[in-house]
Amino acid sequence: MGGSVPGGGLARGLATTLKTMVRPAHTEQYPDVQPELPPRSRGVIALLAENCTVCMLCARECPDWCIYIDSHKETVQVPGAARARQKNMLDRFAIDFSLCMYCGICIEACPFDALYWTPEFEYAEYDIRDLLHEKERLGDWMATVPAPPAHDPNGEPAKEVTAAERKGSAPAARVRVSRPPSRPAAPPADPAPPSGSTPPAGPTPPSDATPPSEPDPPAGS
Amino acid sequence: MRSSDTSRELVVGMGSGVEQLTDPELATADMVLNIGPQHPSTHGVLRLRLTLDGERVKAAEPIIGYMHRGAEKLFEVRDYRQIIVLANRHDWLSAFSNELGVVLAVERLMGMAVPDRAVWLRTLLAELNRVLNHLMFLGSYPLEIGAITPMFYAFREREVLQTVMEEVAGGRMHFMFNRVGGLKEEVPAGWTGRCRQAIAEVRRRLPDLDNIIHRNEIFLARTVGVGVLSAEKAAAYGVSGPVARASGLDFDLRRDEPYLAYGQLDVPVVTRTAGDCHARFECLLDQVHVSLDLADRCLTEVDRTTGPVNVRLPKVVKAPEGHTYAWTENPLGVNGYYLVSRGEKTPWRLKLRTASYANIQALCTLLPGCLVPDLIAILGSMFFVVGDIDK
Repeated sequence: MGGSVPGGGLARGLATTLKTMVRPAHTEQYPDVQPELPPRSRGVIALLAENCTVCMLCARECPDWCIYIDSHKETVQVPGAARARQKNMLDRFAIDFSLCMYCGICIEACPFDALYWTPEFEYAEYDIRDLLHEKERLGDWMATVPAPPAHDPNGEPAKEVTAAERKGSAPAARVRVSRPPSRPAAPPADPAPPSGSTPPAGPTPPSDATPPSEPDPPAGS
Repeated sequence: MRSSDTSRELVVGMGSGVEQLTDPELATADMVLNIGPQHPSTHGVLRLRLTLDGERVKAAEPIIGYMHRGAEKLFEVRDYRQIIVLANRHDWLSAFSNELGVVLAVERLMGMAVPDRAVWLRTLLAELNRVLNHLMFLGSYPLEIGAITPMFYAFREREVLQTVMEEVAGGRMHFMFNRVGGLKEEVPAGWTGRCRQAIAEVRRRLPDLDNIIHRNEIFLARTVGVGVLSAEKAAAYGVSGPVARASGLDFDLRRDEPYLAYGQLDVPVVTRTAGDCHARFECLLDQVHVSLDLADRCLTEVDRTTGPVNVRLPKVVKAPEGHTYAWTENPLGVNGYYLVSRGEKTPWRLKLRTASYANIQALCTLLPGCLVPDLIAILGSMFFVVGDIDK
């Protein structure tokens, strides 16, 4: 085994320790220096309530049902339309982070891009009940959502990029996804140009009132 | 603590041996001792029921189930995307490899072809996950038998790799990056370069971990010749992974039944013949080198392969009626999923075969005859995760 010199193994270990001793430390000065987290980091979920159509897909797909949604219907009279339209109004949207498993299925399932990951993680509480974040608190996280990273050139571009390019080639069409206005300065890699107002009636997919075509049968059937 | 015979008085302290010398009938007074479920050496909630004759273990029985979370039953009421969430949690140190088995089973039932780029990326991430897992045990095993320092070296390397994993998957532990048909999304631009850098960095500093503990005389004294598991016993108990290979059981699914892109890679299988605690540690250490090399080769292929990383799925993923068994070489051993589907969006049954569960069964043959201090050395060298045992 190794060096036959007695104590050779110990000496080698001590040499390593000495070598490490003269190298700079790896300590992260966390509370003083914030860690640099990648944009995909799953810290907390942010809600862009304007995009939510109360389709309940996120609540249904959640593996531990930690999303609570309440809504009511309102009748909206669209000028020029023959009859009034029903619109879902979001009353309550809450995520219980004491139950959340941070899998991100809700964000993936959302067909209207109302949910986003943000790397923020400093929301520990003394009382577990305070981990239930209501609509307002989830909305506040929106300001911290980073721009998604550009994809590797060898792979396919992000679906937002292809969508934007397709929309860009067709004149006067707008991108459906509206991005948070209060986002911090984003690198130019951001694919989706922000659109302030609701898109005009046109070739864009249904934006608000009409729920999406039922994507799958109700859970349990 | 209680004497095995309740009518007998157990004398402790001064003079306790006297009656054993004088009365041959009382020559042995076995003690039944519980290690765990809350013992630090069991890193989790494994309970061992030992029968001791003085310092020597006469019988050992692992009692499991303190962390049973009903994973298999939960699988039956979750769709396949939700199963990935649950599946990456039973062995929390090999989350990516756990996810892999589920998606491989579902893809096989659905007859789905996964894009090349996804296959190479999966292989790459699985190997990185293996390194992460092994580094954890390379740090924690010496810690359990009294050497605190290696932990810091191991975690320094883990941090480097976890950073690249977090950049691609968003998680540091539960990656949740596999999907049926490929991966969740493409890797960020420039990631492969950073990944290559991280691998090089780990490879460069790995000799530190080797030097500090591998040949340390105290470590050798605690581990060499301790807890010898023969290849026959290992095979009989269904032991797999580095623990079995340290006993000379030359079996590695990556080479023997290649999945993912392992068929196109030359996978060197690390084996030892001693079968003792030190051999198991050595296997782990050498496998890290092998995995880093494999990861490098995967990266070369990833940079060469273009195309999508997933396939378009129907809104509801349903595995057609049938059954299949997908097994993978997880960091700790063979991890298998027996999927039985009746054509619904949830499996009818998803049986989980975990490496740790089989590996710790060998404890009841490994422990008898050893001393109590060796027990800690043996327990640590079996490299198990309690979640993986109890599911």
